[in-house]
Amino acid sequence: MLRIENLHVEVGGKLLLREVNLEVGEGEVHVLFGPNGSGKSSLAMAVIGHPSYKLVEGRIFFKGVDITEKPVHERVKLGIGVVFQNPPRIYGVKLKDLLNKLAGERELGDGVLKLIDSLNISEDLLSRSVNVGFSGGEVKRCEIAQALATNPDFLILDEPDSGVDLENLELIGRELSRALRGKSALVITHHGHILRYLKPSRAHVMIRGTIICSGEPDRIFERIVSDGYRWCEKCSLMRRG
Amino acid sequence: MQLDEERLREVLRKPAPLGLDIDLQEFKQAPEQRVEYYEDLAQASLEVGVDLDKRSKLTTFLQVDHEAIYKAVQKQFEKDIELMTLEEALEKYEWLREYVWRLRSPYEDKYSAFNALHGKGGYFLRIREGRRIHLPIQTCFLTYSPEIVQNVHNVIMVEPDAEAYIITGCTAHKKAPKGLHIGVTEIYVKRSAKLNYTMIHKWGPSFHVRPRTGILLEDGAELVYNYITLGSVASFQSQPSARLAGEGATLSMNNVVYLERSSDMDLWGEAFIEGSGGRVELITNAVVADRAKLTNRGRIVCDADNGKGHISCRGLMLSDEAEVSAIPCLVSRRMDSELTHEAAIGRISEEQLFYLMARGISREEAESLIVRGFLDTSPMKLPEHLEKGVRRIIDLAVKGF
Ligand SMILES: Nc1ncnc2c1ncn2[C@@H]1O[C@H](COP(=O)(O)OP(=O)(O)OP(=O)(O)O)[C@@H](O)[C@H]1O
Ligand SMILES: [Mg+2]
Repeated sequence: MLRIENLHVEVGGKLLLREVNLEVGEGEVHVLFGPNGSGKSSLAMAVIGHPSYKLVEGRIFFKGVDITEKPVHERVKLGIGVVFQNPPRIYGVKLKDLLNKLAGERELGDGVLKLIDSLNISEDLLSRSVNVGFSGGEVKRCEIAQALATNPDFLILDEPDSGVDLENLELIGRELSRALRGKSALVITHHGHILRYLKPSRAHVMIRGTIICSGEPDRIFERIVSDGYRWCEKCSLMRRG
Repeated sequence: MQLDEERLREVLRKPAPLGLDIDLQEFKQAPEQRVEYYEDLAQASLEVGVDLDKRSKLTTFLQVDHEAIYKAVQKQFEKDIELMTLEEALEKYEWLREYVWRLRSPYEDKYSAFNALHGKGGYFLRIREGRRIHLPIQTCFLTYSPEIVQNVHNVIMVEPDAEAYIITGCTAHKKAPKGLHIGVTEIYVKRSAKLNYTMIHKWGPSFHVRPRTGILLEDGAELVYNYITLGSVASFQSQPSARLAGEGATLSMNNVVYLERSSDMDLWGEAFIEGSGGRVELITNAVVADRAKLTNRGRIVCDADNGKGHISCRGLMLSDEAEVSAIPCLVSRRMDSELTHEAAIGRISEEQLFYLMARGISREEAESLIVRGFLDTSPMKLPEHLEKGVRRIIDLAVKGF
């Protein structure tokens, strides 16, 4: 489904990602771990095609199509969706209008109402400008609603669970697991909670801009929890050595 | 107020201190003929939010050129609202003289002096004490004859505890591409009264506009003063000025501006907090295209305890030949007052564009969403049906996006 080959990405002349190789097959959910600033969000941005994240080497394939040179909205049309970690505020564009527009384009019809309902998005929030004055948890739910409204085949979830309280975590978890049925995803997270709902089949660890280890999600997560990323760093030294 | 004609004539000879100095001789003092009600007046008025087809249902005042050609109070509100021309009102009420030229000086500049000397038309609108009028009152000033000066004076009085919505549209008919509109408006919002006043302007590239608005807010009075201007204008200069004389008065002044072509607009907002606990917000959201130029000045002066004021100017530039200046000014003489301002001018944000495009929206559509969103009417606190009408008018005006 998504295949990343030898990806090198820079922003403003600074190399953020190097030698990234990753393949997520159809119907698979993968999780990406890594310390703050290791480059996880940068990878998400490069896959969706943010113009500031410049590919200096490597290729990205989606559904067998080389999307390396494609602009962002074409990648989305092909079926990629993103839940952003830090989305911008859009003054004057009401959440309700945006959701309706997105759902309309994908002919989701009243599916959008179900989404709004199951993600517990209030009338008040719907009538406000996108992300303007939203609380952390509100931003996440609104991101998920938008991404799901475009009905993607492959979803990149960049920390969909950070800053979300337990009750809403359950809500998000349930909704995402339902939406992802039969679909693929790459989930970036620092917590184990959301993984119980999403049941990833494979995990990767990113350190300083590259994936240094891949394996069974539970094992890797437990190791990170008990030994921290220092363990991974050693691992990376060993690999390079 | 007794006017000093000698002094007025003196002011008339001096160039205007702000904005393009217009030669008043270029315009005809009076139209050549009186205009009757035409169907196409309704179309023109609709574009500035006034629905003349509803004139039998809503309280409506329509002035074309120099004459009020229609005015009527909605039947159910006959005991609550008074609406007449200012000339009629001054004949009827001796006390009204006190309220004319009280919130604005006729000696301010040549346009005000010209209005004091040669003004023609305008209305007196009074909402009686304690009456709450939840259906909009609509007033419309239309210029139909080419090259004339429309020169009006309005007085609005919202008596204690009363409430009203006023929508006022000003526009030039396509037969009158060139002209000058001078409008003096004095707004009195008395103790605990509430007024939502929304003005929509749509002119043309050869039209000049000089509104002069004065506002007085008494104890606990609330005014939402909305100004929407769309399209192009040769030159515009205005400086609505409000005194929050009473305690706990609030003023929210919202400007939504979409300027095109070679428009030149100098738009002020000014408020003096004189009563304790007064609150002021001056907000301008402007989209400026082509070679248009906008100067947005805002000033809040606080002389009372617990006064709060905020000025915000956001300008979105759609062209390298456009120009936006934001000039906020805050003056405080009280330690426990809180005055703030913010201004941001720039092009459409690439981050916002990318975000919307990452939802599968094309670049053009994303730009359109952002531009329309920029002209946000939600701070205007309009009732739903008015809000819809206003949105439709704005969408129509920015059709290119
Ligand atoms: N647009 C940018 N301009 C400059 N530096 C950037 C930009 N985006 C990312 N970086 C830098 O690249 C590094 C990786 O950032 P990234 O956001 O990808 O990390 P992350 O793994 O997602 O971290 P976190 O867990 O904190 O979200 C950081 O040092 C960050 O400051
Ligand atoms: Mg991140």
